[in-house]
Amino acid sequence: MSRDRSDKEKDTLKGTFTSVMLLGGFIALSWLGVFILFINR
Amino acid sequence: MHIHRLEKIWLAIGVAMLFVFLGVIGVGAFAMGMQPPTGHHTIDPEKVSETYPFNNPGLEQVGENEYNAYMIAYAFGFKPAKMEVPLGAKVHFQVTSPDVVHGFQITGTTVNLMAVPGEVNHYTYTFDKPGEYLVLCNEYCGAGHEFMATTIIVK
Repeated sequence: MSRDRSDKEKDTLKGTFTSVMLLGGFIALSWLGVFILFINR
Repeated sequence: MHIHRLEKIWLAIGVAMLFVFLGVIGVGAFAMGMQPPTGHHTIDPEKVSETYPFNNPGLEQVGENEYNAYMIAYAFGFKPAKMEVPLGAKVHFQVTSPDVVHGFQITGTTVNLMAVPGEVNHYTYTFDKPGEYLVLCNEYCGAGHEFMATTIIVK
């Protein structure tokens, strides 16, 4: 019963995980871009 | 409390990013001396043109290839109108305004200050690349805002 529920949760969070990683990657890359620009000037 | 495995991963990444961002700011501020371009340096905004050093704006040599640059941003222009800086010079900018808030941005560099009446803002920059640097006002200051520009020549 409890195993069923945790399996279900894992499935439902996969999409969330992907979108969180995409957003996180976007934030990290934009920050890095601005930082590199600052360092090079 | 039960936290999902994937949730733990993204929380860990988020916290790590926070520490990296704050760490970079901390190292810059406390180890490399980077600070906002203000020095709690005040001036009477009605007497800018009579007050030293702004009675004679321009470059003043203070060391070997090291200069102070006193500049006034006014409606609608900059004093001095044109400035030549030797290549490799370390320039300590001091910028103020006798009227309204202006911007002082040297394009392609990290120099980007506000020129605030009553305040003298400070910023140090080393010009390592020769060329003509465009200086712009980036705070909307009135009808002539778009004409407010000057050039710094580095050679």
